[in-house]
Amino acid sequence: MKILGISAHYHDSAAALVIDGVPIAAVQEERLSRRKNDAAFPLLAIEWCLDQAGIGPEALDAVVFYERPMLKFDRILTCMLREFPRSWRAFPKAMKNSLGEKVWMRGVIASHLGTPGRKVLFTEHHQSHAAAAFLTAPTQRAAILTTDGVGEWATLSIGLGARRAQSPASITLLREVRFPHSLGMLYSTFTAYLGFEVNEGEYKVMGLASYGRPTLVNEVRRLIRRTPDGAFALDLDYFEFHTTAQRSYSSRFIDLFGPPRRPYEPIDLHTAEGRRFADCAASVQRVLEDTLVEIAVAVRQETGLPDLCMGGGVALNGVANARILTDSGFERLFVPPAPGDAGCALGAALYADRIHFGNPDREVPDHPFWGPTVDGSALAQLAREDGQPCDEFDDPELIERTADDLLAGRVVGWMDGALEFGPRALGHRSVLAAPHAAEMRDRLNRDVKDREEFRPFAPVVPIEAADRYFELPAGGARLARFMSGVFPVRPEWRTRLAAITHIDGSARVQTLEQSMAPRLHALLKCYGQRSGIPVLLNTSFNLAGEPIVNRAVEGYSTFRRSGIDVLIAGRTRVAKRASSAIHQEQVACSRSVAG
Amino acid sequence: MELIRSLLRPLHRWVWLDTARRARKLLRFAETEADGGRDLVRAAEMTTDSLLRRHFLRHARDEQRHAELFRGRGAALLRVLPEPPRSGYRADWLAPGERGLDDLRVEELEVDALLAFLHLSEKSAATDFARYRDVLQHDPPTRAVFEEILRDEAYHMNYTFSQLVRVSPQHHRRLLWRARLGRLWKGYLRLAIALAGGISWLILTVLYFTLLPPFAYFAKRSARQEPAGWRPVSAERNASLDRQY
Repeated sequence: MKILGISAHYHDSAAALVIDGVPIAAVQEERLSRRKNDAAFPLLAIEWCLDQAGIGPEALDAVVFYERPMLKFDRILTCMLREFPRSWRAFPKAMKNSLGEKVWMRGVIASHLGTPGRKVLFTEHHQSHAAAAFLTAPTQRAAILTTDGVGEWATLSIGLGARRAQSPASITLLREVRFPHSLGMLYSTFTAYLGFEVNEGEYKVMGLASYGRPTLVNEVRRLIRRTPDGAFALDLDYFEFHTTAQRSYSSRFIDLFGPPRRPYEPIDLHTAEGRRFADCAASVQRVLEDTLVEIAVAVRQETGLPDLCMGGGVALNGVANARILTDSGFERLFVPPAPGDAGCALGAALYADRIHFGNPDREVPDHPFWGPTVDGSALAQLAREDGQPCDEFDDPELIERTADDLLAGRVVGWMDGALEFGPRALGHRSVLAAPHAAEMRDRLNRDVKDREEFRPFAPVVPIEAADRYFELPAGGARLARFMSGVFPVRPEWRTRLAAITHIDGSARVQTLEQSMAPRLHALLKCYGQRSGIPVLLNTSFNLAGEPIVNRAVEGYSTFRRSGIDVLIAGRTRVAKRASSAIHQEQVACSRSVAG
Repeated sequence: MELIRSLLRPLHRWVWLDTARRARKLLRFAETEADGGRDLVRAAEMTTDSLLRRHFLRHARDEQRHAELFRGRGAALLRVLPEPPRSGYRADWLAPGERGLDDLRVEELEVDALLAFLHLSEKSAATDFARYRDVLQHDPPTRAVFEEILRDEAYHMNYTFSQLVRVSPQHHRRLLWRARLGRLWKGYLRLAIALAGGISWLILTVLYFTLLPPFAYFAKRSARQEPAGWRPVSAERNASLDRQY
């Protein structure tokens, strides 16, 4: 069967194609449209997925949308009614937003793809998250915990998944917490309060939390109370996200925590104000972790299962994930590479395949590389056109030269094979650098990523060497496969891994198996032989405000505009010319204009 | 044209007089410049002409620098305000940033049409920025920001025109006229959409206050009866994928 999954219209739209039970292609629209967090209907992504399989839309057996539009509309309308008359400003906007396109998804999909309406199916939002988490994980039976801002009504769901080879799988959602009571919205409210962009700045809150102390935990607990049945409820007097799109926290929230941060002001951690913001971040982070751990403990006791699969945007919180792994009693925790809404495209397609159509279960390859493949020759052509020094090497020589570059302190743009699906660069579209000196972190923040100094960089390490440098608990190496957990760097290595060690001594480590990314694995080994430490700094290959690069040309333009010294795509290596030569080029450019 | 400009001068002076609005406008301009920079990066990635690629990348770097200048000055103005300004009237239609209000879709344009569009928008931005500079005598640092950006605009106007002539020597005038008409058409569309938006806002607001109250009463009542905490998920919900609700 050929099943296309689609997620769209909220944050990060995507398409995924599953053929005979196995993913063939999956890509986020932003990677192709080059608009960060593109939420538009993912026409480019769909087109690419179909091209990749060499089929047209008429060959599809089903197209699955990742949530139920009418149920979502029901929630939006009900919330407007419940907040009458305070919701009068939000009502026209919400109605125009929903009634314009979003509730007519069957028709929209049918008209875009030319498929009959009967072939268009709908999963629930949290079913999609659950399927993306469970059906891609190497486990036969597991508890499932999905949590995000909101889908249709659910904001957190508990379920069970079971699969047997050559038999249909099952995913049963047992219970849920409903909007407006939402851990994701709680965290996002603090994201907005701390002056960051909602749905984008949550990483920053997590990074900032390490600089603060959880001194405001009691205050945060006034916002979220635990219900007698073990769930939670928000005190809505502190929030406005359910009544207006203008602001997510109320005046009472400000009375409790003080004035919000002005978004354009940098956070100065040496001032009392800066420390207050860091303490706010640390406090909400602690409450989030405690709540999730308590829920996970209850699920573990209830199900008795050793494995937990987590999905939803909150599962991107690596610090919370690590605490769940160590404190909840689960032996293994699986978080997919795309636990957010983009991953729902794959989840919806797999759910339809296994559960709706009852097709026998098949193992899903355990990697995130479902996107377009990079073409090294395209990079070589670009470099030649621009007169940039460019070489092509066979693999061993390229690996050795790259290791030398890294050892010499050069920053390397690394493009290899198929693009990652999900928000993290896991070794195919990465910026790599030596992890040893704090100056490298500062240089990357300043010259490449243009981001706040309190945000850490992640390391990548061969899985067989991970324990030597990082304190991984049982199951930690698995959680770190897709950079989903934050773990302590061993104290004796912290000074020699200063560029990737966060202020609290932790790192969001990626443990790399050779089979997942053989060339990067070889590079780590080679670098380890030269430097004595087979660890590299690995950050996503993009500049601030831009999506991760996809094709060679995007890598090349990023290389040209940033402090990246060397660019590798496939077997092609381009090194930046000396600064004087670049200057000459710019002068020549100006002259040609004047001429 | 000069007459219209001099007539608009008092209006521009009013737009730029208020510190809070000035700050908000500069921060908005910063976003516009950053977006414009990304469009130019996209243009550089799309073109196969290496000379154009170099120009577009340099232009993108300039736009990024302009964004930083606007952001820095906007943030500095915010700092002197006693409290953060609430989102208020920015008069964007009267004093737009670069690219005006046009939404540029780089992928959908041929390179010559793109150059014509860029040339016109740079020209119009240069005119607008010069006008803003002229009414900002009371704020020398903001005036200096516009001064600096205007120097780059001259290069942007020149290269877009010279490259347009190079890539389309026969048709560049026609392309410029088409781009002008395109801007006019987009202006009309914006006006129409704004008008339709206003009408729909009015209708929906009237419906809200006339039609919704009884439903709101029942919704509030049922919300009060709704228990907090876990809600079971029915087996039926786990089953069918045909329903949209």
